[in-house]
Amino acid sequence: MGSSSSKEIDHGNYVSTPVPVPTGPAARVIIIDGSRSQEEYSFVVGEGEKLEETFVVLPGVSARIPVTVDLVGPGAEADLKGIYISDGTDEVTFDITMHHRAPGCTSHQLFNGLASGQSKCAFFGKIIVAPDAQKTEAYQENHNIVLSDEARVNTKPRLEIYADDVKCSHGATVGKLNEDEQFYMRSRGIPEDEAKVLQMISFVAPVLEGLEDEALASAIESAIRSLAK
Amino acid sequence: MAFLKITDLHASVGDKEILKGINLEIGRGEIHAVMGPNGAGKSTLSAILTGKPGYEVTSGTIEFMGRDLLAMKPEERAWAGIFMSFQYPIEIPGVSITNFMKTAINSKRKAEGLVPIKGGDFLKLMKEKMALVQMKPEFSKREVNVGFSGGEKKRNEIFQMAMLDPVLAILDETDSGLDVDALKIVADGVNALHTPEKSAIVITHYQKLLEYVRPDRVHVLKAGQIVADGGRELIDKIEKDGFEQF
Repeated sequence: MGSSSSKEIDHGNYVSTPVPVPTGPAARVIIIDGSRSQEEYSFVVGEGEKLEETFVVLPGVSARIPVTVDLVGPGAEADLKGIYISDGTDEVTFDITMHHRAPGCTSHQLFNGLASGQSKCAFFGKIIVAPDAQKTEAYQENHNIVLSDEARVNTKPRLEIYADDVKCSHGATVGKLNEDEQFYMRSRGIPEDEAKVLQMISFVAPVLEGLEDEALASAIESAIRSLAK
Repeated sequence: MAFLKITDLHASVGDKEILKGINLEIGRGEIHAVMGPNGAGKSTLSAILTGKPGYEVTSGTIEFMGRDLLAMKPEERAWAGIFMSFQYPIEIPGVSITNFMKTAINSKRKAEGLVPIKGGDFLKLMKEKMALVQMKPEFSKREVNVGFSGGEKKRNEIFQMAMLDPVLAILDETDSGLDVDALKIVADGVNALHTPEKSAIVITHYQKLLEYVRPDRVHVLKAGQIVADGGRELIDKIEKDGFEQF
């Protein structure tokens, strides 16, 4: 889907250690609305704990969302996900800093965005691995679909690695909805708008996987339907 | 009223004229083969019939069951009963075959003012049509064409055709990339779906598929024009002396 870049850094013969049983709070969803557009999110994750957060930004919201995660205890885990759907003149910026400060920690980031209208979206994702944070595993993905000529997306991954026995990767893509897929669906009788809805839902689905929140899924679907028109 | 009537069709891609005055009439219940060498315009013809974006009709008309086909959107053509089996079926990551087919069937029902198909009826239909092309039941959960072999993709095309029950099937190079066994399964599926009310256009540059799916009429397309029409004897003629003779 459009341009993509990804980079894999793999030092040494890394053998993964058994994953500790999650003891942290259950997966949470943070819906960014107008009242939270100034908030900062900071999380400290201790030994054996697991952080799971999913950020959701729906159309009609402009926000700068700074998120800092500190993995301070050995074996700590963080799973950060996000969906941003922007339209009109929305401006949405995620500014994420993932600090790996202790050995054997794992972090996953997956943020998928849809930008329509004249909206501007940005994703700044930084992973910093401290010198003694050996056996770190850190992964980051940010995928974007631009739905209009005027919408803008800026994605900037950054890795700062000061340890030598780590596994880190990041991938960022910015693209458009695939027109061959649309024609294939239309040739089977699926109207153009509906084809786009199917494409967009399948695009955000990996972020929602495991969240059994029907109200949220239907809010996201109706936001997507509003963009398909 | 003609079932399908193509009159003096000229079509271009970009600045390049590909079809240079096609005339073709297909009656209800007939199977027509369109044969021709690479670059003759075969795929352009199927693209025009299904309304693929990027192709411009510069002159001519296509009448389908009394309607102006060229004025219809691709989805409207599907609702009217046109189906094309793609030469290169498209992969749709994240969309399961079940969801894809259910959306397709219900879109048509909606356009016809009908309520969505009942879940049980849909699953029964899926099972029946998958069996027709020997697709394993687990394919219903697979993402559309993702990771399918060439043969599996073509079988999936014929499965979709069976689900949508078109009155005009266009098989665009359906035989390309198929081994003999897969070709037989696909051809058996096509034949099983053929009834006196349904027509088909088989586009190919080999005669292999035509041994299984027997056309009533054969047309040779070369350099954007139909250069020969005939019965099945034309297939043997092409087999023997190639397309250069035309």
